[in-house]
Amino acid sequence: MNILKGQRVALTSLFQNQPQADCFQIGLCVSGNKDVVDFACFGLDSQQKLSDDAYMTFFNQPKTPCGAIELSTPAGDTLGFACQLAKLPTKIDKLVFTAAIDGATSMRQIQNGHLRFLLAGQEVARFAFSGADFQDEKAVMLGELYRKDGTWRFSAVGQGFNGGMAALVQHFGGEVAEDVTAPVTTKLSLEKKLASAPKLIDLAKKATVSLEKYQLQETVARVGLVLDASGSMMNQYRTGKVQEVINRLLPLAVHFDDDAALDVWAFSSNTIALPPATLNNYADFIDSTEGGWRNWGMMSINNEPKVIKQVIELYQKTLLPVLVIFISDGGVSRNKEIKDLLTSAACLPIFWQFVGIGGRNYGVLEQLDTMAGRVVDNCGFFALDDLNSVSEQELYDRLLNEFPLWLKAAKQKHII
Amino acid sequence: MGISLNKGGNLSLTKTDPTLKNIIIGLGWDARPTDGADFDLDASAFMVKEDGKVRSDSDFIFYNQTKSTCGSVEHTGDNRTGAGDGDDESLIVILDKVPADIQRVVFTVTIHDAESRKQNFGQVSNAFIRVVNKDSGNEVARFDLSEDASIETAMVFGEIYKHGGEWKFKAVGQGYSGGLAALARQYGINI
Repeated sequence: MNILKGQRVALTSLFQNQPQADCFQIGLCVSGNKDVVDFACFGLDSQQKLSDDAYMTFFNQPKTPCGAIELSTPAGDTLGFACQLAKLPTKIDKLVFTAAIDGATSMRQIQNGHLRFLLAGQEVARFAFSGADFQDEKAVMLGELYRKDGTWRFSAVGQGFNGGMAALVQHFGGEVAEDVTAPVTTKLSLEKKLASAPKLIDLAKKATVSLEKYQLQETVARVGLVLDASGSMMNQYRTGKVQEVINRLLPLAVHFDDDAALDVWAFSSNTIALPPATLNNYADFIDSTEGGWRNWGMMSINNEPKVIKQVIELYQKTLLPVLVIFISDGGVSRNKEIKDLLTSAACLPIFWQFVGIGGRNYGVLEQLDTMAGRVVDNCGFFALDDLNSVSEQELYDRLLNEFPLWLKAAKQKHII
Repeated sequence: MGISLNKGGNLSLTKTDPTLKNIIIGLGWDARPTDGADFDLDASAFMVKEDGKVRSDSDFIFYNQTKSTCGSVEHTGDNRTGAGDGDDESLIVILDKVPADIQRVVFTVTIHDAESRKQNFGQVSNAFIRVVNKDSGNEVARFDLSEDASIETAMVFGEIYKHGGEWKFKAVGQGYSGGLAALARQYGINI
């Protein structure tokens, strides 16, 4: 079924009462424009306002609290959402699907685009539009699903604002920074996300500075942390320096990760996958998780290949890019095995940032940047004398400087 | 607030408000909140005979011909944006003055310049028509049609008609493409 601009239809008529209709997908696409287009879904109250920020679903907030709307992109679309409207709280009256151009061009310069409905992966209806349908709008409401007399209806709106995302957010009752000419990021600030962890608030600003510097504000990724727990690390664990690593890295996970969790592994001759570190459990993570580090069965020799395999296993099917931060204090000897694993993992959406701390003999880790035979450079390495020898700001800078390069290369090769 | 009608619904104006002599047909819609050309909706009235046609072009009341020769139907003025609360355009009908050979007065709304502005009723929010007792100010009937209109550019909102010595109102909600010209032709106007 083709839907025309301005058309209003009952959702049931789009789905023709098919049984799977309680769970459908919306796919969005805009093409032929040189600037980036950001898509979002705004859940509005009966006053047509975004009274709860949690109901803006996009890149950095991929799911509503109720789980009714979740990022899920159908093949061939730029972005999409899985929708289970029955899960939506009644306070949400309307869902507006929007597109905003981030750049100098406007909607009239797009070639074409669409908002389509899919059931079980099959398209059932499409609202197609082209640049001729628009004028100088930079942000548009493509379509909206709304409640009407106890049923859901869809309206192909196709209207918007020349003022871009800022004007759109304002239309929905959101507050926008005073300087509306500046690019407005609609993403929840890291500080706000860290509000429940007052100890980390201080880090939020520093992390944000680095994220902005490397243009990672809008990036969604999973974040993993691999901790060397070989015998030579004992002092670092005992003196709380490893806990400090958790504290410093959690803000990155909160920023990047869809579930605000840091996946953690510790390894020595064996590997242990720990429960993810979150804002609820991070504070005493090293000393209390799984009985505390002393009970993890670590503190022996180091076997990197084993943990690398486990990390790959967890992430190989993920659709999001993954940033793995791998802490080692050196003594790396299984060079050939590590090299082979990371070479074959180059086709996976995983970037490995190795960090050497206070040790020596990092073996193959030091050559990873220049290692040949990979589709993309999927590794980075830097060494610190001591975990706490650099400022937090510098740490974030060093941790994040290669990741965007990989993201770009991996995108080009369609790895992510 | 008066009785709210759904598309196709009708009611006896005479029975609902026995004091009704002069009515205001009010039309309203929300001004466009988004950027782009304003939604300029125009209300018009066609006074038609039993056969559904006008007697002459003077039975077509619109922004360029605001009063019927008999004086029974009058357009109070053009609103070009929909700004402001309440009725954005209105027509006054003096029921006693409606000529005997006129069976119905049809109220239509068209979007000015819809084609070149690429607009249709689906893009307009909260459009309604209502019948108000001009002397008491009371609303007699109301028809919200936002859900009944979508890709059309011309709508028959509603009509008043004579039925066994009574005046009745019907919420029509029928859309047409082709704008005011197409509607006018349908009622027998030479355009």
